[in-house]
Amino acid sequence: MSTEPIGLARDLAPKGVMRAQVGQTDLAIWRSTNGVVSAWENRCPHRGMRLSHGFVRGESLACAYHGWHYDCSGKCNYIPAHPELEPPSTIRPNIYSVVEQAGILWVNTVADAKPVSLPNDLIALRSITLDCNLPSAIDAFKAAAKVDAALFNGTVTELSQHPKILSLESPSGANGIVILFQQPHPKSVVAHLLAKDVYQTNELVAVSRWCESVRHKAEQQ
Amino acid sequence: MSGYDHALKYWYPVAMADELDTGQSKHTKLLNTDIVVSRSNDERLDVNAAGKSLAVQHAYGHAWTTFSDTPYPLFAIPESSEQERRFVPCGVVRVSCSPLRAVENFLDIAHFPFVHTGVLGSEPHTEVYKYDVKIDETVDEVFATNIKFFQPQASKSAEGGIETEYIYRVPAPMAAVLYKTCPPKPECLDVIALFVQPLDEETCDVWPWMALYDDTSSMADLIQFQQLIFVQDRSILENQMPRKLPIDPGHEIPTKADLTSIAYRRWLKKRGAYYGAFERS
Ligand code: FES
Ligand SMILES: [Fe+2]
Repeated sequence: MSTEPIGLARDLAPKGVMRAQVGQTDLAIWRSTNGVVSAWENRCPHRGMRLSHGFVRGESLACAYHGWHYDCSGKCNYIPAHPELEPPSTIRPNIYSVVEQAGILWVNTVADAKPVSLPNDLIALRSITLDCNLPSAIDAFKAAAKVDAALFNGTVTELSQHPKILSLESPSGANGIVILFQQPHPKSVVAHLLAKDVYQTNELVAVSRWCESVRHKAEQQ
Repeated sequence: MSGYDHALKYWYPVAMADELDTGQSKHTKLLNTDIVVSRSNDERLDVNAAGKSLAVQHAYGHAWTTFSDTPYPLFAIPESSEQERRFVPCGVVRVSCSPLRAVENFLDIAHFPFVHTGVLGSEPHTEVYKYDVKIDETVDEVFATNIKFFQPQASKSAEGGIETEYIYRVPAPMAAVLYKTCPPKPECLDVIALFVQPLDEETCDVWPWMALYDDTSSMADLIQFQQLIFVQDRSILENQMPRKLPIDPGHEIPTKADLTSIAYRRWLKKRGAYYGAFERS
């Protein structure tokens, strides 16, 4: 499994916990009070509770079932049922590599996360979930871009050769958006949207609405 | 013998004894088999599977059935004949989890401050003190005794926080009985039982039943109190992975507070009670 974009970095605020699916792996992603992001298998080693239901307490994640705390390295550092006990260092969830780049959180469940390189004039706009398969999602965005070329100053070109990235630009390269696709399940796609930093706020709203209309079309096929 | 074959030999609750009017019936499932529960006359409920009628007995506020012609006898709850107690069947809670996970959660006290916050437990009173667990060989049941835990609202009848005493008993793989301090009558123990109907290995209907000393609370309040507790438990049970209960050591890491759960898993394994277990027998 390659490095996957699983969400926008700013959608995971300090003390936030979210759930993501990468391949067969269910993940809990959380950000400590000081901002450190961790990506773990979504299963507490104690009794299997999904860690994505947990709460951030300072620099630890507390499981929702019995309140065990795990620090940012994954080590269990507090068991409330035995407040005096120093928990054995073997108690830790499976930990995966996660990095933040271009405003996106990237996870790799088998090796170090290596994000694809992206132009640095992009800002992360939003993530949107489509209930369809990956080819339908990509086709829907391509087709809509040709029809609604106003967003790209009249005409649009496709740039990326990457199978899960769609890069749509005006011929001058001045306007454009990049969509990173993630496929948590065979029939569901998450599109993470990045836009060139030239767009005004009202234009970003238009891009965002446009994506919703594309979702609508993709899901109807 | 497979886990399924083993599970066939027990009695299971499928309805409250006073459920259904004469002439009414309901469809449900037991061990992955469709069954029909109906009331043909005022006294009793009938249970049918594929047109064949199954044995039925009424006990502890519920109608129980079995697929076996030679089942293990239904376990005894002697307190069910103490007439001063109030007997409260609490209805049913459907949970998407292994029936064994539902029982194990019922045997667990360490979660009280986090799942039943302000009711059965509260921080900072999180410590689980040493308690005793044994398998009573004469009846082949799991017993946990000498459990003490601080509870802000131990029951409907409790006025403020008290140190509550618990005794747990597991008389069958899919049933557990709890004896706990009775706030208005400290020399006696309230009885709260959990009867689990396994719909399949990953879905169950949980039927709580209580035998209490409480003359003041209304029936509706008592039921609502228990229902609230079980709905809180459901939010955990439906998010434990895997859904089936791992009964071999190694998948999950227990501590001293989990002695009851450890004994329960060992006891299941020894009997071959693998229905709802993560491992195959
Ligand atoms: S399951 Fe996480 S602390 Fe018990
Ligand atoms: Fe509970």
